[in-house]
Amino acid sequence: MAFRRLHVDWLIFLSIPFKLKYLRKLLPFVVIATVIMIAMTTFRSGAQISKSGSSMENLASVSTSTSSPSGSTTTSATTTTEAKPKPPSVNTGPLLYESSGTPASKSQVEQGKIYFDQSCSSCHGMGAEGSSRAPNLVGLGPATIDFWLTTGRMPLSNTIVQPERKPPRYDPSQSLDIVAYVTSLGPGGPLIPNISGVPNASIAEGASLFALNCAGCHTITGAGDELASGAYAPSLHQATPTQVAEAIRTGPANMPRFSPGIMTNRQVNDIVKYVTQSIQHPNNAGGFGLGGVGPVAEGFVGLLIGVGILMLFALWIGDRS
Amino acid sequence: MPSLLKKDKPKQTGAEKATAGAKWLDDRLGLAKGGRVFFNKIFPDHWSFMLGEIALYSFVVLLVTGVFLTLYYVPSADMMTYHGSYAPLKGTQVSAAYNSTLAISFNVRFGLLVRQMHHWAADIFLGAIAVHMCRVFFTGAFRRPRELNWIVGVTLLILGISNGFLGYSLPDDLISGTGLRIMFSVVESIPVVGTHLAFWLFGGNYPGNGVIIPRMYMLHVLLVPAIMVALVGAHLALLVKQKHTQFSGPGKTEKNVVGTPMWPGFMFKTQGYFFLVVAVLAGLGGWAQINPIWQYGQYFPYKVSYAVQPDWYMGWLDGALRIMPSWEFQNFGYMIPNMFFPSVLLPGIAFNIFIVWPFIEAKVRKDYKEHHLLERPRDNPWRTSIGAGALAFFFMLFAASSTDVLANYFNISLNLVLWFFRFATYIIPFIVSAVTYKMCLELQALGQYGGRRKRFNVVLRTAEGEYLSVKTPARPGDLDILSGEEEEPLELTEQVSQKLRESAELIGVSGSESTKVQPPADEGVRTVERD
Repeated sequence: MAFRRLHVDWLIFLSIPFKLKYLRKLLPFVVIATVIMIAMTTFRSGAQISKSGSSMENLASVSTSTSSPSGSTTTSATTTTEAKPKPPSVNTGPLLYESSGTPASKSQVEQGKIYFDQSCSSCHGMGAEGSSRAPNLVGLGPATIDFWLTTGRMPLSNTIVQPERKPPRYDPSQSLDIVAYVTSLGPGGPLIPNISGVPNASIAEGASLFALNCAGCHTITGAGDELASGAYAPSLHQATPTQVAEAIRTGPANMPRFSPGIMTNRQVNDIVKYVTQSIQHPNNAGGFGLGGVGPVAEGFVGLLIGVGILMLFALWIGDRS
Repeated sequence: MPSLLKKDKPKQTGAEKATAGAKWLDDRLGLAKGGRVFFNKIFPDHWSFMLGEIALYSFVVLLVTGVFLTLYYVPSADMMTYHGSYAPLKGTQVSAAYNSTLAISFNVRFGLLVRQMHHWAADIFLGAIAVHMCRVFFTGAFRRPRELNWIVGVTLLILGISNGFLGYSLPDDLISGTGLRIMFSVVESIPVVGTHLAFWLFGGNYPGNGVIIPRMYMLHVLLVPAIMVALVGAHLALLVKQKHTQFSGPGKTEKNVVGTPMWPGFMFKTQGYFFLVVAVLAGLGGWAQINPIWQYGQYFPYKVSYAVQPDWYMGWLDGALRIMPSWEFQNFGYMIPNMFFPSVLLPGIAFNIFIVWPFIEAKVRKDYKEHHLLERPRDNPWRTSIGAGALAFFFMLFAASSTDVLANYFNISLNLVLWFFRFATYIIPFIVSAVTYKMCLELQALGQYGGRRKRFNVVLRTAEGEYLSVKTPARPGDLDILSGEEEEPLELTEQVSQKLRESAELIGVSGSESTKVQPPADEGVRTVERD
């Protein structure tokens, strides 16, 4: 008997799917409830963000002093080379760093010449004097050479309008050898900038300087954009602190050069801190960042996803014939 | 005395009390009559009739979230030092407006969610208006007697775009400030009165003396929404008064409306849809970042960011500005500034054509009759191709507003993209129009039900090894593509049909009798005669 009663109960339970007609009317409410619940749980509230924002300063200052996000290139290079005691050989090479008075070693210069002859001399000439295809490098200074090598823009793979950032061919110490060699050929030009002041720099000041001097081409989110006639301002999202400072001081390609008379070391450090922290790790409160290209992406999301989904819902609710 | 009376009365149940209360109200306000009209309003069931509702419900969300935002927003350009919780801006000079928008984003509970919902709702409100307008245009729903409602709708579109721009400019961030700078020049470019008008609006030469933010705020939260609410009311009242249009179909004529009444039926449907709209807006507000003003910083006239675009509904105007060649016109000793043509003349002409379109069409087609049955777009290739061409034109202008983004993304020269749009914007609409016209004619040639369902052939192999190819039995609604008439089931000789039956049994195809099954009548659908 107990079995029979159980059986009957189950039948009632099973009869529910046959009343789907009524359940269908509840579906919209279920969908909304689910979406709202998920939205509420995944939404990062402003208060939490601001907390992490204030702690970001400490966190980021650690990250600048240790290594760059990619970990591949210059930051680690400069820090290691700065930190490591110079080789015991005679330091007869040129001065490379603003921050350290120790010049490059003779062996560095010699090693750099080997690399230079292999990869650079075919265009820039055996003595870096330049050719019809490539400019003279003598007297450009260590910062310029270091920037082009560590961002992978040189050696050039194909002669397009503007060299693109790519994984560097030489590791940081090898790059530095080339820098030492080219610098030994002739004096002049900015040294690799001193960015030791970055941890104590002011992000707010950097943000203001960035909006004034950089956003006009690199955009305020640092995403970079196309300029006239095939030239472009590259994205800043992969630049290391040293590279940012070098770019400011040397003005690669179309970029204007900001010499110490225009921008003090302290201001450069402010910008470096702003770029490597706020720009590279933006506070994306309120959901996915949509690429930092502003209302274009927002418009597409609003029209395709927003209006699109609602039209699909209309198709679901309405008659289709 | 009252206590005595009460004793005599039998005890009322809750329902009776409610009824009595309602009756008391009705005796004084006469609401029941209006309520009957409201509850008996028939809504055709076609999905495309729901598009306007997206706009309506986004508008409701805009009002609700907007009210929340006014509680915290400070419409003032006064400069102050930022002490909020967004670290990178601490200690910098910001305006009170920007400061309060940052506070909404970071310090007000649910502030960022509501702010983002408000912004997404604005984008979707105008998107839904555009889609709804396309539906009305391409089906000819604006024809007599609905010209007035079309004009109200276009006015709502214009007001919506204007209010969207005003709201976009309120946070006083770097991007919106750039947009405001452009708007100042646009106003300034109007011949003769431009400079005076711009100086009057901004309280002096750009950036003015700080009055523009309170003024925009007043327009954004008070004047424009008030007009819009009134117009939305008029839009809906006209809809109820004139009754819905409908697509032609069985039982649907110029004299009646077939659909679901407001009660019972449509009310639940539309409420569900309201919740869906809110859900999508809440979902976008929670998941998809929009206008992260803290990344942009305070606006100063001497600072500018590259790659600045307005919201999508202003995009076509920005695109028109971008592709305008640097021509200047001198007339009677006055120069008409270059900006005047793309940013004042173009929208002026466009919106005026929108407004008078029903009258242009009536005049051109000499069609002054009342229409309640909709045309399918293919039935009126002339209008459809013009509409498609106009859409293509606006889309090209819209795309032209992101020349830099396109050039950067596809790695092509910005100049090339610009010159492409300078020509393509005018060429592509004509191509689109021509193709649309041809497509309409082709679809017409297919017959009324053309392409709906194909009768397929079954190839059978008899026991003797003979192959027979026979059409499957006609099903209800199967029509001959060429003649447009219902097909008769194929007549077969007795021998063949015997073989067929045997073979058909083997492969499980049922006999060749066509059974006429009427689709079950949809419950709750009601037909109402027009007045």
